[in-house]
Amino acid sequence: MSRAKYLGKRLLMAIPVVWLGATMTWFIIFMGPIDPAARLLSEGQVRNPAAYQAAQTQLGLNQPPLQHYFDWLSSLLVFDLGQTWLLYQGSNVNALIMDFLPRTLWLGFWSVLIAIFVGVPLGFYAGMRSNTVADYVASMGGIVWRAMPNFWLGIMLLALLGSSEAIFGFAWETVGPDLLTGISGNPDLTQLGTVDGFLRATKKVLPAAIVLGSASMGNEMRIGRTAVLEVKNQDYVELAKVKGVSKRSLVYKHILRNALVPLVPIITSEAFLLIGGSVLVETVFGINGIGYLFYQAAIQGDLPLVGTLMYVFILMIVGINLIQDVLYTLIDPRVGLEGD
Amino acid sequence: MSETLLEVENLRTVFHTDKETIHAVDGVSFDVSEGETVGLVGESGSGKSVTARSVLGLVDDPGVIEEGSIRFRGDELVGGNWDQHRGDIAIVFQDPMNSLNPVYTVGNQIKEALRIHQGLRGSEATEKAVELLEDVGIPDAARRVSEYPHQFSGGMRQRAVIAIALACDPELLVCDEPTTALDVTIQAQILELLDDLQREEDLGVLFITHDMGVIEETADRVNVMYAGEFVESAPVDELFEEPRHPYTRGLLASIPGRNAEGDRLPTIEGEVPTSTSEPTSCRFAPRCDYAFGACEEVHPGRVRVGDVDTDHEVACLLYDDTFEETPPEGGVEAHGGESA
Amino acid sequence: MLNRETLQRASGDGRTLAWLGIGLLLFLLEAGAAATFTMEALIKIALAVPGVDSAGFLTGLESAARSIPTLLSREAIPNQGYYNGSGYQETFLGLAPAVAWAIRATLVYVYAFGIMGWVVAGYRLYRSTYRKADWTPRDDVLDRLRSHNWGLFGLVIVFMFVTMAVFAPALGPTTVDQNMRNSYGNDISYWDSESGSVETIVVGEANLGSASRGNNQNVGPWSYDDYGRFHPFGTMQNGRDLFTFLMVGSRISLVIGVLSVGLSATIAASLALTSAYYKGRVDLSMVLVSDAVMAMPQLLLLIMLTTVLGDTWINEIYSGGFLLALIFAFTGWTYMWRSLRGPALQVSEREWIDAARSFGQRPTTIMRKHMLPYITGYLLIYGSMTLGGAIISIAGLSYLGLGVAPPTPEWGRAVNLGQDYVRTGSWHISLIPGILITLVVTGFNALGDGIRDAIDPQSDSAGDETAGAGAGA
Repeated sequence: MSRAKYLGKRLLMAIPVVWLGATMTWFIIFMGPIDPAARLLSEGQVRNPAAYQAAQTQLGLNQPPLQHYFDWLSSLLVFDLGQTWLLYQGSNVNALIMDFLPRTLWLGFWSVLIAIFVGVPLGFYAGMRSNTVADYVASMGGIVWRAMPNFWLGIMLLALLGSSEAIFGFAWETVGPDLLTGISGNPDLTQLGTVDGFLRATKKVLPAAIVLGSASMGNEMRIGRTAVLEVKNQDYVELAKVKGVSKRSLVYKHILRNALVPLVPIITSEAFLLIGGSVLVETVFGINGIGYLFYQAAIQGDLPLVGTLMYVFILMIVGINLIQDVLYTLIDPRVGLEGD
Repeated sequence: MSETLLEVENLRTVFHTDKETIHAVDGVSFDVSEGETVGLVGESGSGKSVTARSVLGLVDDPGVIEEGSIRFRGDELVGGNWDQHRGDIAIVFQDPMNSLNPVYTVGNQIKEALRIHQGLRGSEATEKAVELLEDVGIPDAARRVSEYPHQFSGGMRQRAVIAIALACDPELLVCDEPTTALDVTIQAQILELLDDLQREEDLGVLFITHDMGVIEETADRVNVMYAGEFVESAPVDELFEEPRHPYTRGLLASIPGRNAEGDRLPTIEGEVPTSTSEPTSCRFAPRCDYAFGACEEVHPGRVRVGDVDTDHEVACLLYDDTFEETPPEGGVEAHGGESA
Repeated sequence: MLNRETLQRASGDGRTLAWLGIGLLLFLLEAGAAATFTMEALIKIALAVPGVDSAGFLTGLESAARSIPTLLSREAIPNQGYYNGSGYQETFLGLAPAVAWAIRATLVYVYAFGIMGWVVAGYRLYRSTYRKADWTPRDDVLDRLRSHNWGLFGLVIVFMFVTMAVFAPALGPTTVDQNMRNSYGNDISYWDSESGSVETIVVGEANLGSASRGNNQNVGPWSYDDYGRFHPFGTMQNGRDLFTFLMVGSRISLVIGVLSVGLSATIAASLALTSAYYKGRVDLSMVLVSDAVMAMPQLLLLIMLTTVLGDTWINEIYSGGFLLALIFAFTGWTYMWRSLRGPALQVSEREWIDAARSFGQRPTTIMRKHMLPYITGYLLIYGSMTLGGAIISIAGLSYLGLGVAPPTPEWGRAVNLGQDYVRTGSWHISLIPGILITLVVTGFNALGDGIRDAIDPQSDSAGDETAGAGAGA
């Protein structure tokens, strides 16, 4: 009963969060010191009152602010996202997002997967063998790996892969599927159905995913290690040991399941890192994802598009948070009983 | 005479930390027979729990059993042979909150033990688990078996822990302060339950507590522990009637209701010292009102006191014939703590 | 008893005098720099206040301050000289520029660690002789930190970074003004081996000749360019000295980092205390607000706000650094607030809070006096880790061309400028700043770990983990 109630409560809480986030975005974009209409126009057009008027009308800025706010919010609510002004001039924003989003999701999918499947086992391994050389090496590696800036790591990784033949003795291009279009750039997501297409798209996005997942990987490793260390010494683990539970079952059933609990919030707090980091990583690796789209919109001055994309990001993050809550209730039966 | 279950001889458990070596258990010996309850009593930090953990083979890095032997039914356990006797020795920890794995149902944890030790599976195991829960006095056991630990109250949890212990079908039960974390009324119920179970199953019990009152009710034989050593061992009646060691007298005098005349409860000032080196003096001497010159220079050995047929030993120079000093008339009185 | 105490005092007095004497000596060595810095600051303030024409007088004082001999100044140990065919001119003791520079840089660090030792000695003296209490809880914390090798490693790295920022002008082999801002207004002499004579060239021209642009034209780390200038980290793609760029860049990173972390710590602490004290609806509304701010990824929010506020007057202050610090504070407090809320709630449950409430103490006083001291430790921990994250984020923004405005050096921009040459011989331009960022961020994280273990040896909370990662930059 309480689990469903807990989830319902979280869902209810998500609504004011999205609303507040969208409101702040609207305020920054439309009430800020920059006139979005003027920003959309070129130098000459700004001085042309007719062009300026037209831009204002189309943005709805000639209305009273409150009216504009409600219009803007309601069109976001029904995903009527309008059209772009500067970037890919005049294209439908919905279509643009549909075009750019899959690449970011593909990148995000692999970076989460890599982070989890490398970081968590490594952390658990270090925790189970605490204070050994292997533990120190893994822990140190995780700490340094986490401290490296993503954009720099990306550049270095590209340089290494680009000269892989000279450095490692094999060329990255020829490992597995051949990448005809270079080692970085947009993954081709149209052929995902075929084995070759899938591998090709994966290989293309793999270096970027490793970089994007790097911070998360370090975090997961650290938390995983600490969690194992903490759980390892709990009375219930000792009780299980006294019961005669086999070593294998002790580790997998009693230690790791409990150690997963503190990992859940970390895996989702990575959503912030992933989406924030996607701007830099997509820029470095030349991937046309929505992080890159957001950055382009910001530097080129397409502020309405910036606001719309921010709304999309807010929805994504709140959505991931809800997934976290579902995961939480699955792993930890205590959820929903505390703090009420 | 019933058969001896556990024989501990000259057990030394030490902890090697970066700075020093802590002698947590320093040469203790005792036996536990079928149907017998042996009490281990002392302040916190005296090494009681480490003794219990040593018996169960739960001493982890940086701790190590350096010397001595622990035999179960004649089989030597020291050196990693605990696995052969897993289930024969069960434990009930102090805090029932931590002894149950929070992410599995109580039934699951009982059934795990049943599967290992009695080969029960499926509905058969569930039936047996319900039966065990009923045996330990949990009402509505059929429903409770599928609940999670956090849904149980403190006393219920401790009953569940005892049920898990019983599921192992043990011969020896180690109780490490099983009632300390519970309310007084619940405490009495749990003690009664343990008492009943012991009689039904003819269990040997090693009962560890800091509470002299609890020891008086439960134990057949008592070992008083101080700074890793047994300072006095005697049958329970003998110990309570004629305590010899100044420390034992202090402990007894500090039980409310035992000292009639004074308004204030006497206390033993100071704390249990941490033993970091081989003893060269009496470890209790700094806190002892009856200490004399030799106490600072000689480590007291155990001497037999009282009637020949009572098995009463004490490690105190007051009772050692090589020294002039004798216990004062009427026995050593506990120091009345003015500062208490 | 009394006698012994007096004796202790007396011996303490002797040591105190020695300690004060060493302190005075250390100060005199750098008195010129301190005086110059003070005067410069005063002039800036005087200029800012309209109607006061005291700047002229102050300028006079400033030049007087400049003439005070200072051990670690560029003038005392100059490294910029030239070879005249037989020996080096205008360098320190006629040594090679590389050696002269190395001596100066080493001396700066010796001096900095001397100051650190002096402070530690002072504290020890105070603790053993003057403090009334034998023991305070803080002693335990310091002792634990002292035996925490990883934390000490962090402390040393952070200290070296701070020294780098403070002594930035003295550390570089050249100055920002001469080498970058005003490169066509300064000239240098050099030994032209072809003509066999000393020639003079404008710095801007020389930079063109010393650019690192791949395999054909490169001035790598620890080498001289054609004009006899020594470059410890090599040159950048535009021929400027990378080491000088990075040293001065450390200053803006540190200033923005400290400012933003200080501000967001203040916001986070006051909000955490308020929500812990009032609980209920106040707490819930703060959770909603912080969730909403966190739902906008910090880096994206930074990009959006720097774009929107880019043309305002506030962006003029400190090359946009001040605005950046403000934005950081207002987007970053949520992470710290989240971590502080738990401890604050715990403290608010304590009985002394109820006791204070029961005798009518004002809420603000209760928060400040009875709750704040218990969360300051956490503030230090998260502050240290957030600082590392802030440094990464600032670098990330400069990499994208946002944030700190171009002529002012910033580490992230160096990475961007060298990006095209990573696979060539000029790999150093991007590689070195990245290593420095990694090292400094690791240092801040290690220091945070050390402080955490020192304050609360039991804890290893999960909440702080995102702080050090810098919003995904």
